[in-house]
Parts: sequence; structure tokens; C-alpha cells
Amino acid sequence: MLKFIVRRIFWTIPVLLVVIFLTFTMMRQIGGNPFRQSERAVTEATQRNLEAKFHVNDPWYLQYAHYVKGVATFDLGPSLVVRGRDVNDIVATHFPTSIQLGLFAFLFAIVLGVPLGMIAALRHNTWVDYSAMFFSNVFHAVPSFLIATLLIYFVALKAGWFPTSGWTSWEHKVLPSIALGFGPMALFARLVRGTMLETLQQDYVRTAKAKGLRYRRVVGLHVLRNSLIPVVTAAGPLLGFIITGSFVIELIFNIPGIGQQFVDSVFNRDYSVVMGLTVLLSVIVIVANLVVDILYGILDPRTRDVRA
Amino acid sequence: MSVTDAREEALATEPGSAPASGAPIRQTNLWKDAWRRYVRNRAATLAGVVFVVVLLYCLVAPILSPYDPNKINFTIASQTPTLDHPFGTDKFGRDLFTRTALGGRVSILIGFGATLAILLIGVVYGSISGFVGGRLDNGLMRFLDALYGLPYLPFAIITLQIIGRTDMWTMMIALSIASWFTTARIVRGQVLSLKENDYVRAAKAVGARWYRILGRHLLPNTLGVLIIAIFLELPGVILGEAFLSFIGLGISPPDASWGAMAQEGRTVFRSHPTAIIVPSVAIATLVLCANFVADGLRDALDPRTRET
Repeated sequence: MLKFIVRRIFWTIPVLLVVIFLTFTMMRQIGGNPFRQSERAVTEATQRNLEAKFHVNDPWYLQYAHYVKGVATFDLGPSLVVRGRDVNDIVATHFPTSIQLGLFAFLFAIVLGVPLGMIAALRHNTWVDYSAMFFSNVFHAVPSFLIATLLIYFVALKAGWFPTSGWTSWEHKVLPSIALGFGPMALFARLVRGTMLETLQQDYVRTAKAKGLRYRRVVGLHVLRNSLIPVVTAAGPLLGFIITGSFVIELIFNIPGIGQQFVDSVFNRDYSVVMGLTVLLSVIVIVANLVVDILYGILDPRTRDVRA
Repeated sequence: MSVTDAREEALATEPGSAPASGAPIRQTNLWKDAWRRYVRNRAATLAGVVFVVVLLYCLVAPILSPYDPNKINFTIASQTPTLDHPFGTDKFGRDLFTRTALGGRVSILIGFGATLAILLIGVVYGSISGFVGGRLDNGLMRFLDALYGLPYLPFAIITLQIIGRTDMWTMMIALSIASWFTTARIVRGQVLSLKENDYVRAAKAVGARWYRILGRHLLPNTLGVLIIAIFLELPGVILGEAFLSFIGLGISPPDASWGAMAQEGRTVFRSHPTAIIVPSVAIATLVLCANFVADGLRDALDPRTRET
């Protein structure tokens, strides 16, 4: 088991290097020296200093090495547009907000999605099952901005229960988390229902029933525990979903998070921020996949050797 | 399995049993079988019908409509649905029934275009990896593992920045570039398992060249999987377009796409929610139908993977 974990962690390093390289290469393609004199009125000497400071004239592999070194030491470099501000500062200011939003959405999705899937599976082929699945299919398809605007319109504007935008008190955090969590909730419900139906047909469940165990115990001990594994594995891909969703949700609710910062930076052509945030998001996705794989290996020993 | 193969097989498996009694043998083939199985699935059939209706609506409505979708008329601005304007009007008084169809054309074209690109890249990458096998396969798959660390939306945004232009075609490129990984994996798996079949070994034994084996035996047999993949990828691309346009980095007004219309609707949704609800519901309808069609096709074309 330890060997599996160590191997898996070491495998992450080349993956990180490749992803940083791809991001780096793509950002270079956007082109244009941000310190061209046409963009800002600077003297020749300032121009040279700036170029030296940002390694603009180094060959690409040196720039890449420099950037990787920066990432490894948690230094994403300075912003190209906002003077005296590092990408690190931007991450430190905006990232906690996004993490909080993502976590709340995730929590909402699990707390509602898992029981919904369970009930649907236990009442298989009844109207409960059908309506739960219809519900989750619909919410899997509805774009999050519709859910968000409907929530704002009915719950915030008409009923006045929650504020319409911002991210300060806990009341502000309710609606965005729900809006972002609806899609993942539908996904969880479907996943849990699927695996639970499968688990219910396993021999050990039949044995447990035959032994005369009570229904609650069979479901709680044997079925539920084994049905939750896919919830763990889905957490990796779901993270991407939540990142994408947070771009939209942060915009609608005017939440000062990473997504909004990313879009602003694209508009301002602040490419070092764009690149830093992309690398950061990639690292998060990669690390999440790592954690999921290791957890999966622990929960389901059969998978250890197959996934290197 | 191609049509002729299936027929040959059907003939080969029943040697001489047919003509003796003179009873007619019901002729069937893979596609007829699949069609029968698909039609038996009521949800998928309904979804397929609605899908076609939406396509027809987008195609025909702008031609038949008496309204110019771009004509601004403030006297009828921000109307809720009426008999004259079944979907209402937007803040400029443009008829939403016509405009939604027009936006649908763009969204659906982007959807299918990007999906085809995804399939193309996926088939090339996946079949090379699966067919050649060995070290190359291992390397290509490891690279793919690394690519899974890329967050979808940021990379689509960066791609658009590199191209420096945002229209229907560049949106197709941006949306396909960050989402072909799954299809490549599916194709590779399919080729890998097909490669071990006896008829491929037989073809090799009689001296068929590699391109004949790939073109005649392996790729045609992935057709079923690819048809399913179209409807699996389509929802993601349609939603991707909607998100990109919604945050202002995709198709931008006055050009219409469902995402761009939702973005326009967002600015006035507090007073006139119809303008954002209409395009969002259009997106949700298409995505929902595509999901059901994909499920139905999977059951019909590949009965082994039928869900419980």
C-alpha cells in the first residue's frame, strides 16, 4: 500500500511539469511583449530594465525553468498590469473565497444528493425513483446561471430572504452555494443510485438478508458503505465542474473570487495573472486526482495494482 | 460490426437450417436491431423527437417569422410572452421567438462542429495508441493522464486569446481543444479489445496490411461507440459555449447564441427575467435530450453495458 502511494505521488511530478509546460507554451503564443514601448511610455533604459527583470529576452527553456522554479517555491511572479502586486497577493486575497464557495457547494451536493440517490435506489421503479431521477436529470442539464438568476429573482428579490449579491455575512453565502451545488447534487444522486442498485444485488447483501439481519442494518452496514466509493471517485472530475461553475456564479453574485479575477485579468491582458491562476487551478485538479486515487486504493484494494 | 459482416455471420451460423421447411426467416441486422431496442425505450424516443423538433425550430423559425431578429423597437421592449411574441421580447424589443432560433443555430453549429473535431482528434489519437500498442501506447496514455489535469474553461479562454478572435469557428476550436481526452480513451480501449478478435488475427494471417486491418476491421467496429460519443460530448460543448459567452469571453452581442442571449438577459433579469429564462431553457432542453438520447443509444448499440 505504501509503495502504491509513493509511486502515485512521484508520478504526479512529471504530470505537473507537462501541465506547466503546456500552460507556459500556450501563454507564450498569445505573444506581444507586454513592455513594448507602444503600450506604455517608458524610456529606453526602463524598457531594458523591465525586460531584464521579467526575463523577456531569455530563451524559452530558461524562462520555463525560471517559471517552474517559481512555482516550486510558491512564487507565481509579479502582475504585469497592477504595479507592485504579485500574483501571490492576488491568490491570497481571492482564493479563500473561491475555496469556501466550492466547499459549501460540495457540502450542499453531498448532503442532498446522497440521500436522494439512496431513496431512489431503495424505492427502485416506483414513482419516488422516477421523480428523483427526473429531477436529477433536469438539474444536471440546466445551466447554473439559470438556477442562480431564478434563486436571486424569487428568493432574494421577491421573498427578500437573502441578499442578492456579495460575499460578507453567512446570508450572502447561502444562495451562491446552492446555485453552484445543484449540478453536482444531481450527479451524486445518479451515481449513488446506480451503485446502490448494483450493491443491492451482491451476494453478501443477500447473505446478510438471509442471516435475518434487520433491513436498516443491511442497508446501513453493507450497502451504503460500498455504495459511497463512487462518490469519492467522482469528486475529482466534479472539481473541474465546480471550477467552471464558479466562474459563472462569482460573476452573477459579484463574489470577489478567483473566477472573477481570472476573467478580469483576461480583459486587462494581465497574462502573468492568467497564467498563474491557470497553473494554480491545474495543480489543484492534479492534487485532487492524486488524493482521489489514493483514497480509492484504500477503499477498494482491488484497484491498487491496476492504477499505477 | 458492419452491416455486411452481420449478415454474413447470420448466414454462417445457421447452415442449412433455413430452406427445409420453407418458413421465412425474419431478416435482421445490427442497425435494425438497435433501432428496435432504441424505440422500445420511451424516454429516449421522446428525447429524440424533442431534439429533432428543437433542430427544426432553429432551422425554420427565422425563415417563417414575420419579425426581423435584429430590428430594435423600444415601443415593444421587455415584453413577457404574448400571442404575437410567444417567447416575449428582449430589452431592445427584438422578438425572442425568432432570436432564440437564430441563437440556437449558432449554439448547435458550435456544438456539432466542436463534437466532430473532438471525435476526429480522439479517433486519430486513440486508434494510434491502441493499434500500435507497447511503449508508444504507454507514453500516449501517460500524456493523456497529464492532460486530464487541465481545467477546461481556463484553457478554452487561453486558446481564444491565442487566436485573438472570437467567432463561431474559433469557439469550436477552443471548446474541442480541452475536451477530446475522454473520446481518445474510449476509442483506444475499443481498438485494444477489438485487436484481439479472431477475425483480426485471421486477416493478419492472410497477409492484410495494417491500414486494411485498421480501416476495414477496427475503425468500422468503433462506429457504434462514436455515435454514442457524439451525444455524450454535445451537452458539454453546448454548456461550454454558454458559459464562455455568458462571462463575456465567447460570442458577444449583437450576434446571437444562446450563451450570448443569456448574457444580455442577465443585465436586466431583475426587471425582465424572461430574457434570460428563454435561452437558458433552450440550452437545458437540448442538453437534457442529448443526455437521454446518449443513454438510449448506449442501450441500443451496446446492450452489454445496459444499466441495471
